[in-house]
Amino acid sequence: METHSYFPVPPGVGMEENFLSLDDILLSHERLPSRTECTFPRLGFLEKSSDSRDIQEGTKMEMPLFLAKGLYERKRRVVSVELPKVYKEGWRTVFNADPTVVDLHKMGPYYYGLGSQLLHFDSPENPEIAQAVLQTFIGRFRRTMDSSQNAYNEDTSALVERLDYLERALFRAGQSGLNSFQNWERGRASTITASSLVLNYRKRKITDLQP
Amino acid sequence: MDPSEVEFLAEKEVVKIIPNFSLDKIYLIGGDLGPFNPGLPVDVPVWLALNLKQRQKCRIVPPEWMDVEKLEEIRELERKEDTFTPVPSPYYMELTKLLLNHASDNIPKADEIRTLVKDIWDTRIAKLRLSADSFISQQEAHAKLDNLTLMEINTTRSFLLDTLNCMYKLRSNLQPGASGGKAQDHH
Amino acid sequence: MSDTLSDDASGGDDGQEDVMTPAELIGKLEEAWLNEKFSPELLENKSEMGECVMEQLTHMEANLQRVRRGDVKASVHRMEIDRIRFVLSSYLRSRLQKIEKFFPHVLEKEKSRVEGDPSFLSPEEFAFAKEYLANTETYLKAVALKHMPPNLQTVDMLKAVPEPCLDSFVFLRVRERQENILVEPETDDQREYVVDLDVDSQHLMRYRAIAPLVSSGAVQLI
Repeated sequence: METHSYFPVPPGVGMEENFLSLDDILLSHERLPSRTECTFPRLGFLEKSSDSRDIQEGTKMEMPLFLAKGLYERKRRVVSVELPKVYKEGWRTVFNADPTVVDLHKMGPYYYGLGSQLLHFDSPENPEIAQAVLQTFIGRFRRTMDSSQNAYNEDTSALVERLDYLERALFRAGQSGLNSFQNWERGRASTITASSLVLNYRKRKITDLQP
Repeated sequence: MDPSEVEFLAEKEVVKIIPNFSLDKIYLIGGDLGPFNPGLPVDVPVWLALNLKQRQKCRIVPPEWMDVEKLEEIRELERKEDTFTPVPSPYYMELTKLLLNHASDNIPKADEIRTLVKDIWDTRIAKLRLSADSFISQQEAHAKLDNLTLMEINTTRSFLLDTLNCMYKLRSNLQPGASGGKAQDHH
Repeated sequence: MSDTLSDDASGGDDGQEDVMTPAELIGKLEEAWLNEKFSPELLENKSEMGECVMEQLTHMEANLQRVRRGDVKASVHRMEIDRIRFVLSSYLRSRLQKIEKFFPHVLEKEKSRVEGDPSFLSPEEFAFAKEYLANTETYLKAVALKHMPPNLQTVDMLKAVPEPCLDSFVFLRVRERQENILVEPETDDQREYVVDLDVDSQHLMRYRAIAPLVSSGAVQLI
């Protein structure tokens, strides 16, 4: 029976981010290669590689997504964001050839989320990035589905190793559908089992009583 | 939806029993049942049939389709056709499990039936995965899914719907401004 | 146009309700249960239906009080009561879960409701939603916001909590034949087209396209 008293907020996916989603909060900390387009006065202490008081215009640094998004403006150039290599043309060609061979966990792990968020920065390559992200998702779907629907009662860590976070969530959804059916079929759904919390509580009580 | 809730719905299906007791009509909220006379077949919902069976108050008459020959035909047809063939009952899987687990002594060749139904199920689930795959790769907007049962839909529901949702959002990336305009800058 | 339609429909419903048998009432409850389980948004409340079901249950339970223990008939009645009660609780619970999930939007919809229109929330659900909002705000304030700089101490719940996604796909079965349901294209190289929904046929499509048919009862979510 579904007994969730609390719904974890899922990631927004695409250009949206959900404020209360843990995945999206982690995504917003992903680092982007960027370049300052003006001087940032008295913020030199943030740049450990130099001793200067200010961050000079043209400094290359890595910036978390949330900061880059906050500072980026179309009209006034404050920072420019460079594409991480996995979204550049070279890698897009690789994805296009066979999206299933790529280790998206290593290359991501927020490949889809970050790819969508990059579209906030006006790159001329935006249409190609959006297309590549979508096609990669579609191209890898079959594998995600097959592995999530065929693995029963086994260690799935190897199966999800190369999946992006979004794909892992889908994998889990597929697994829970399969597992709850298999449990029902084997008649396990009808036996009520004590939660581990209760069992531990009982144990603790017994030990408490012992001198 | 939990499979046990689908089973709950299946328990409303009507099945014939042969009672070994007598009882007047019962006026339930959901309709009248009975009267019950020893040896005379009477229609009852599966939940009641199973309860009476457990209390040794009746024999359950298996549904007509729960028969080795009929199921073999269905299995062959299901394997031959590419589409989903009509199933003998919208709850064929649930009823098979319920009746075989609780009244197998009333069902001839119970083990064979169990295997046949499982074969039919497996064939259909394989088809369902194929259709899901083509639905996604063709980026379809509508699919007709006649003859698919609730339990079949249910095993893949959240996976398929979540995938479609993700795909929809990734696709809306292609039209900047469409959903991008709503982007929230909380962080 | 939709006004005349809905007037007709509600007029028809009123007429039906007078003659609805208990069995039909239970049927309606089960329809509402499945629709609520599978629709991405909170559907309109059917508190009248819920009350009628409760009335049936209470009435039946009162009758059973007078029956001696171990009576076969009584045990059958009790089983039926338990089953109906399960559906009713599950139905109400899935509404509460959606209210928890979408509380700011649910309350916003209620706020913008025109005086006289039926509410989507029962009075109890409305109270629950308001309390849930207040508790969430208090909690966020206590654990985080009060430690923030003054200009960052508010969170707009309407923006922070995701809205129901009406573009979600749903599975459905057709009860009343529908013609010319518009299916919007998924990609640029597709075109929109229309489908006819035949009675008892089953479909997978976007909720948005058929949402009005769910509330009118022409299709059943499955």
